[in-house]
Amino acid sequence: MTDLSATKRASPVKRQRPESLTARALDRDSFLRRLDWVMLAAVAILCVMGLALVWAATKPQGASSSYVKKDVLDIVIGLILAVVAASIDYRTLRAYTPILYGASVLGLLVVLSPLGGRINGAHSWIILPGGFEIQPSEFAKVAVILGMAFLLSEKRDSRPEPTNQDAWLCLAFAAVPVLLILAQPDVGSIMVFGFIIFGMIALSGISAKWIFGMILFAVVGSLLIDHLHLLKQYQLDRFTAFTHANSAQSSSSFGYNVQQARIAIGHGGIFGQGLGHGTQTQGQFVPEQQTDFIFSVAGEELGLVGSGLIVLLSGVVLARALRIARLAEDRFGMLVAVGIVCWFGFQIFENIGMNLGIMPITGLPLPFISYGGTSMFASMIAIGLLQNVQIRSAR
Amino acid sequence: MTDRSRLRLVVLGVLVVSLVATLLGRLWYLQVLNAHAYGVAAQHNQTRDIVTQPPRGEVLDDTGRPLIDNKTALVVSVDRTALQRQPDGGVAVLHRLSKLLHVPYKLLSHEIQQCGLASSGKTITRPCWAGSPYQPIPVSQLKPSVAATMKAIQIKELSEEYPGVSAQLQPVRNYPEPEGAQAATILGYTQQIGQTQLAKLSKAQQTIQLGTEVGAAGIEESYQKYLRGTPGLKQITVDALGAQTGVTKNTQPIAGDDVVTNIDAKAQADLETELQNAITTARNHGFTADYDAGVVMNVRTGGIVAMGSNPSYSPRKPPSSYSSQAKYLQAEHKEGFPFLDKAFGTTNPPGSTFKMISSSGLLGDGTMSTGGLYDCPTTFQKRTSFEKVPGLGSITLAHALIVSCDTFFFKLGWQDWHNDQTLIKEGKKPKQGVQALAHDYGLGENPDLDIPGAAAGHIADRENTKLLWEANKKNYCEGAARRPKGSYLQRLDAQDCKIGYIFLPGDQENEDVGQGTVDVSPLQLAVAYSALANGGTVFKPRVAKAILSPSGKLIRRIKAPVRDHIPLSQGDQDYIRNALYGVTTSTNPMGTGTSVFANFPMGQVKVGGKTGTAELSGTQENGSWFASFGGPAGQAPQYVTVIEVDKSDQGAISAAPFVKKMWDDLYGLQGAKAALPNGVPPTLHTAIAAAVVAAAGGAKAGHPHHAGKSGSGKHSSGKGTSPPPSSPSSPTSSAGGLPPGLPAIPRREPSE
Repeated sequence: MTDLSATKRASPVKRQRPESLTARALDRDSFLRRLDWVMLAAVAILCVMGLALVWAATKPQGASSSYVKKDVLDIVIGLILAVVAASIDYRTLRAYTPILYGASVLGLLVVLSPLGGRINGAHSWIILPGGFEIQPSEFAKVAVILGMAFLLSEKRDSRPEPTNQDAWLCLAFAAVPVLLILAQPDVGSIMVFGFIIFGMIALSGISAKWIFGMILFAVVGSLLIDHLHLLKQYQLDRFTAFTHANSAQSSSSFGYNVQQARIAIGHGGIFGQGLGHGTQTQGQFVPEQQTDFIFSVAGEELGLVGSGLIVLLSGVVLARALRIARLAEDRFGMLVAVGIVCWFGFQIFENIGMNLGIMPITGLPLPFISYGGTSMFASMIAIGLLQNVQIRSAR
Repeated sequence: MTDRSRLRLVVLGVLVVSLVATLLGRLWYLQVLNAHAYGVAAQHNQTRDIVTQPPRGEVLDDTGRPLIDNKTALVVSVDRTALQRQPDGGVAVLHRLSKLLHVPYKLLSHEIQQCGLASSGKTITRPCWAGSPYQPIPVSQLKPSVAATMKAIQIKELSEEYPGVSAQLQPVRNYPEPEGAQAATILGYTQQIGQTQLAKLSKAQQTIQLGTEVGAAGIEESYQKYLRGTPGLKQITVDALGAQTGVTKNTQPIAGDDVVTNIDAKAQADLETELQNAITTARNHGFTADYDAGVVMNVRTGGIVAMGSNPSYSPRKPPSSYSSQAKYLQAEHKEGFPFLDKAFGTTNPPGSTFKMISSSGLLGDGTMSTGGLYDCPTTFQKRTSFEKVPGLGSITLAHALIVSCDTFFFKLGWQDWHNDQTLIKEGKKPKQGVQALAHDYGLGENPDLDIPGAAAGHIADRENTKLLWEANKKNYCEGAARRPKGSYLQRLDAQDCKIGYIFLPGDQENEDVGQGTVDVSPLQLAVAYSALANGGTVFKPRVAKAILSPSGKLIRRIKAPVRDHIPLSQGDQDYIRNALYGVTTSTNPMGTGTSVFANFPMGQVKVGGKTGTAELSGTQENGSWFASFGGPAGQAPQYVTVIEVDKSDQGAISAAPFVKKMWDDLYGLQGAKAALPNGVPPTLHTAIAAAVVAAAGGAKAGHPHHAGKSGSGKHSSGKGTSPPPSSPSSPTSSAGGLPPGLPAIPRREPSE
């Protein structure tokens, strides 16, 4: 990285290592002090808000305690995974990338097999005994980010930028899980992957031709998909529902979703109806209100104050991740952070956007807020990875 | 990091910031700028108005027998919102329901569509649902039976197979037809409230009244505000599945009030029978007899005791029961306009029954006097009497009425016309005495009946003839040019085109014998004859007599308002009345109705009247009329009975015999069972009796000159118009005399 920080680090100040654990933990160069506490605080608040919203969203079902318990368990497991992800030096982690990648691809294959479960028209889940469900595509995001960061940061012939060959390799590497997800089909995840791939290749410092090429590909691709009717009707309905949710004819369940979510959020006003007191939420007018449409609960019951806070805290997470990318010691770390920014950035915008009726409906959860284990685990791993890069970045 | 990456990182940062800003902006837009609208939407989302329709009030006859009451039927309703939540939009459910109820699927699916403009731009017409989209839509009514109950159980038990479908017991209109009386056109019918009616209501009222049944004709329409009751409104909060989560408002429905009518079920049934007999008889004699109509009216109260026409319809098959406008129109034409009550809805020339009015007019304007003798030639200006009366020389007015001499009236009419013409030449207003008296009798005017649809008819005079001609001149002249030359209608049109604006002497002559441009309804004639019978009081006739609360309390007494008093001396009125008694009794000269009433026990009930035969141009058929009044011998008349048989024989042949039968039926003569023994309904509900007494008292007060002259009905005899509250003001009817099903009603004294 920069010479300045390198100099700083190499400053010949003699320091005695404090003996006590506490003292060591509070040491300027300690593991704990190097963590990005701002981001962690934001994530923590988001998780707590998520718990409260899951409670409120499932209260009318009369099962909120079991939902909340499961959500707490998910957060705890997620934290453990985050700690693990943060602890192993990310440069060492590169070695595990193929294993992670292989496991994800295998998971995605299982999903398509009879072992996979179908939810909302897509084969996205592996149903495990004990009521657990796993969505391999969430882990695949982590695997693809790590793998692509690895491929794009391999130094060849001491060239600073990745070569065309690297980029093509990257695309081929990402294509396998993407095609498997396309087979489910999970349009939302595909779009997330699209942004991850685009973002990482673009930020790798590759020639601008690639950026334009990828944009062109996306435009032509979507036109072709529309023209050749490659999307199923329900997918199209979901996609277009938000454009006419106000009209009386939006009798399709997707238009209904959009409309009800929008009513719920608007009903919240500035200060909200109070947690557990939103009529839209408590009347369960918004389907999927503890998962994909949980933001509508925040909107109705916590109002502009609460839902705005979620947006801002999510922004904080993204800003800190961008900072980590900027300060990362090497390209691998930087690209991992960029990949996560693209992932979270798109997913957060898409999820909240569809709640607000300005984005099409896709089955994407809101990180740290939506109820659901796999998403929580993957998001927490991502936070762990960001902290990993942060800890090991140059000062 | 390369500079390129650094720059792109900045771009990514900007992108992230703008996305966050977009979300916050949108949040602001929804939660601050549009918070109110979405708050309303959320409120609307979670509350449902459940309107419970109250049982409609009953319609009772004069003795308290229900003509309309309510029965509980199993009503199958469909909740459209629930159906639409089905994956196939409820198609499968409706198919199952169609099979279960044996109702065509197409009809079912049409019935649950919202009336009005659909999103497709097509206008949805009946059968469709005009109510709230959140209200269950009744699609079928099952008569209470074992099979129906099984169906209801099936719907309830297999609720997963019939989502959104419910079967409930609900009050529906029932027509007990006491004594066999249908009275369909009087009672009217109900139908779903229309969009135009709804639009006139306030927003809150619209919620409550959506989809309600409102009276669309007859008593159901005109006494809607009493019969309707107040719907109950339960406002509940619901979740997305429509499951109730709470109650925010709950008002109970209040049952509608009952309407007591002047109609007597037995008399009504008898009239319907006689109308049927009359039309059958006329048809058996080769006449078209496309319809007939009749009225029985209480001359003292102005109450309608019986009224109807034939062909009519069953109250169970009203116009609103037809599945389409086309089918309804088809029935209208095929069955001879059964939905129109010809007794008050159509007008025709009344023939010689009008001579009662022209006599009054000619006496009134001084063209003749009761003491005078006037010529009854065989022909007058080449015209003979319609009923082929031979020349009788100089006779009295009474004689002329008894034998129905047309030439007598032609000549006087001619005289009358010339008198008026002299006045005009002198620059004075013509008297037009016959027309003036006709209007006094309520002819040519809306009779102001308390049910809708009564026709005003027409009495031609110099002014309106000109006005009419100006309005129709074009048609006459076009007809004269278009029709085959020399044909009757062509000549008529040609004449009308040229001189139609002139009220000719012939017009006056025709009018005086009830031909030509005099159009009256049987009801109007009954009102006119009632006035003659009661000493000059012209009523606005009333079908309804009183309004009772569901608990039987008298809420309002309905008295027939007095329209007018005949400006004719009592002497002249008595003269004409006595002459008309001669029509049915005189043997020398022979009255036109004498043979019909030959065996009638005039010693018990005295009936007078007038035959009428209105020639229908171009045919051998006539409008056949008989108008009569009568009451117990030695007393003033109590009732008027009028029957008109269209396109049939002479009045004395086609109408009079059935009028005579009606008198038998009313008073129980010649073996008939009395509908109104001694002229009053046999058993009376106490509250109704109070209303009767009050109404009779009111009529007495209406024309004092008549009060002392006759012993009126048994009810008012010997009593003041306002009895002290403690005195028994009504006949004490035993509980056994009450029709079954009537609540024991606390006695209540009239308040005025």
